[in-house]
Amino acid sequence: MRGTMAVFLAGGRGEGLGVLTEHRAPAAVPFGGKYRLVDFSLSNCHHSEILQVALLTQHAPTSLNEHVGAGRSWDLDRAQGGVRILQPFASRVRARWTEGPADALLRSLNEFDEAGIERLLVGSAEHVYLLDYSDLVASHQASGCPLTVTVLAVTPGRPRRARRVEIEGERVVRLASTKESVDRGHVAIGLFVFEMDFLRAAAADAAPRTLFEWVAAAAGAGVPVHAFEHDGYWEDPDDLATYYRTSMSLLAPNSPLSLADPLWTVETHGEERPPARFLPGSRVRESLVAGGAMVAGEVERSILFGGVIVEPGARVRDSILFQDVRVGAGARLDGVIADKQVQIGDGAVLGEGPPIAAASADVSALCVIGKEARLPAGHRLKRGGVVPVAPRALAGIG
Amino acid sequence: MSGQAFAFLLAGGVGTRLCLLSEKRAKPAVPFGGKYRIIDFTLSNCVNSGIFDVGILTQYRPTSLNQHIGSGRAWDLDRSRGGVRLLAPYRGSQENDWYRGTADAVYQNMVHIRNRRAEDLLILSGDHIYKMDYNPMLEFHRDRRAAVTIAATVVPVEDTNQYGILELDSRGRVLSFIEKPKEARSQLASMGVYVFRRDVLWQALEEDAAVESSNHDFGRDVIPRLLAKGADVYGFPFPQYWQDVGTIDAFYAANLDLLSDRPTIDFSDADWVIHTAILDLPAVRLGQDAAVERSLVANGARVEGRVVRSVIFPGVVVEKNAEVVDSILMNDTRVLPGGRVERAILDKQVWVGQGARVEGGIGGRPNTVCAEHLHGGLVLVGKGATLPEGVRVGPNARVDPDVVPEDFDGDVGPGEVVWNPRATGAAQSHGHPPAGARPARISSGREP
Repeated sequence: MRGTMAVFLAGGRGEGLGVLTEHRAPAAVPFGGKYRLVDFSLSNCHHSEILQVALLTQHAPTSLNEHVGAGRSWDLDRAQGGVRILQPFASRVRARWTEGPADALLRSLNEFDEAGIERLLVGSAEHVYLLDYSDLVASHQASGCPLTVTVLAVTPGRPRRARRVEIEGERVVRLASTKESVDRGHVAIGLFVFEMDFLRAAAADAAPRTLFEWVAAAAGAGVPVHAFEHDGYWEDPDDLATYYRTSMSLLAPNSPLSLADPLWTVETHGEERPPARFLPGSRVRESLVAGGAMVAGEVERSILFGGVIVEPGARVRDSILFQDVRVGAGARLDGVIADKQVQIGDGAVLGEGPPIAAASADVSALCVIGKEARLPAGHRLKRGGVVPVAPRALAGIG
Repeated sequence: MSGQAFAFLLAGGVGTRLCLLSEKRAKPAVPFGGKYRIIDFTLSNCVNSGIFDVGILTQYRPTSLNQHIGSGRAWDLDRSRGGVRLLAPYRGSQENDWYRGTADAVYQNMVHIRNRRAEDLLILSGDHIYKMDYNPMLEFHRDRRAAVTIAATVVPVEDTNQYGILELDSRGRVLSFIEKPKEARSQLASMGVYVFRRDVLWQALEEDAAVESSNHDFGRDVIPRLLAKGADVYGFPFPQYWQDVGTIDAFYAANLDLLSDRPTIDFSDADWVIHTAILDLPAVRLGQDAAVERSLVANGARVEGRVVRSVIFPGVVVEKNAEVVDSILMNDTRVLPGGRVERAILDKQVWVGQGARVEGGIGGRPNTVCAEHLHGGLVLVGKGATLPEGVRVGPNARVDPDVVPEDFDGDVGPGEVVWNPRATGAAQSHGHPPAGARPARISSGREP
């Protein structure tokens, strides 16, 4: 895909994800047993052969930096192009943080405006989907429009909280700039293609705070805006309920998101661990268990990341345990999201109650345990309980 | 360590004692431990010891090995200086030809280290399972001003006739070295890990090359000749886990040992990661009726049935009501509903048809063609074999690679062999998967 550079916005605070994003950018939030959210965008680039990629960061970029590194896991460590992480920086003439994605994008325009780059593919680094970007770019080019909005048809009966788009044929007529509950028609999924010429002209104007406001304004002002329909899986896990539901949907026998397509692998960094170890007495059903995990207890409808240890007699249900969480002997977990390296003492009881229905996950029923928190033996936490990130973890890498 | 050591890794072995497992691949490329290949251990030892300059000598069926090693990226051995090189025999204007033995393989590749500063050269076998920091051995070698240092491990008395046995004095100097002795003077066996002073190696290999009657083997020729000349040859005892997995029984036992409460070798040591080629597969998926106990299961596997005391590689699928006990299932092998596998080693991409029963046992009638290697009761199924619905396969049976249901003549009794009639000459290396019957790789959760 010569001439196209992908720019992913990873600067948000991710307030909806609570303690999971207190110390890390939302794009770096662990997902699906071994991934981080950004892996989907980067793997899409790799398979779509978009070899020039930039990640725009601002908030808590450390773990994202660490994860992406030189881009090797996605074959994006290249002599020419490859992946770059652009963090706001101070210069002699100015030193200010960026104010929203559109500002971030326009401020970095000089960085992208290099030889041969004719258009930018702009998306969020936090969305979960598999998409061949070359189809999107080809459709954009064929349309002759200076900008393209990717849209998704809403499944009847499954309303989405998103930005409504009205289309006629393949043209965007109207784009809402704020989210609402949409139960029919199309929504925009925050994935655009912009011609560089259009961006250069736009950069001269004062930029509104969001990319959507900006695109909506352009559409309103008569700029021809192309609509590209993505007809596959797509989720924006920007709050805990969506994150939980999206994660748990992976456990269904006919999960709509395939992580195992040999032609479209989802690539990630740094999971060099031995096979998962099931000890005598282990009972694990309807779950994902990553390499390096060790289970002696009972696990149901849960996702266990690498290095998780479930000691004998412990019971984990409807839960998501990030890397290296230890569940002590006899502990009981119901509807818990535990961040990395959380230690749960023997016999602790977290989130006791009737099973949580993943489909209608009520976020107020979930327990969320911040990174590296230590819960002593016998500790009890009610449904909806939150344990903050351990202070030492805030200083570290997530 | 930079510039100080260079390792030649010998990976050309035919590995006949592993029977089907090494028929189509070099022994170091045989899968082990749920996600690794045997060579990963030696190669990881190199990089974990800070040795980033490695030449791998290949000869026999190197395709799997070449593909596995690639550019060496998984081991951080894709480097502009040093890194890993796969060295296959080539024909030149001079006497180069097929390697005549391990010593000859190194001799023909000495040109490779011409521009290296390394004063000490490691010669490593790619056939063993062990975690070893080579630095203490290199220090020992330099400290003793040794010409050659041989790493040695204690083996059971009854196994001494399979190894080169060393007798050492109190400072570690080798008093005697006898290859496969009938009566051993010690239980200290050569691990096939040598440190040579560069000048010593060059001279020894030149001499050896000129001897017409030589087998050109380090253990049988080069070391005995150096000892006879009174060279300073030392033994370096290595007290930790070291396992030769060169026979079916040893291979099976070493895999199953990983399932014990306290395995003798730990693969989860963050300070000594065993690197292997990255497959980008999702976490293990366990279905509603899954029951998995005392097993290792690699990412990309899917279990709907029951798995007990087994080693399950990536992409394996164990369907509903299927059962796998005391077995090793390599990549992308699939046990269909109602199938049962017990005391068996299934190579990659095997299909066990609905209700088929592959049931090894203990002992029994040895295999009719490889009695020497297949007599302990295990069943061995070759890569890509498809077992028909409802078939029964007994102890010590051997099912050849790429067989299809039509190749079976009813059940397979103890010690019997299912041949692949298409496997003759060149065709053998490619095999004939049944047309349209199944994908080459099965690891998606969405396949039919």
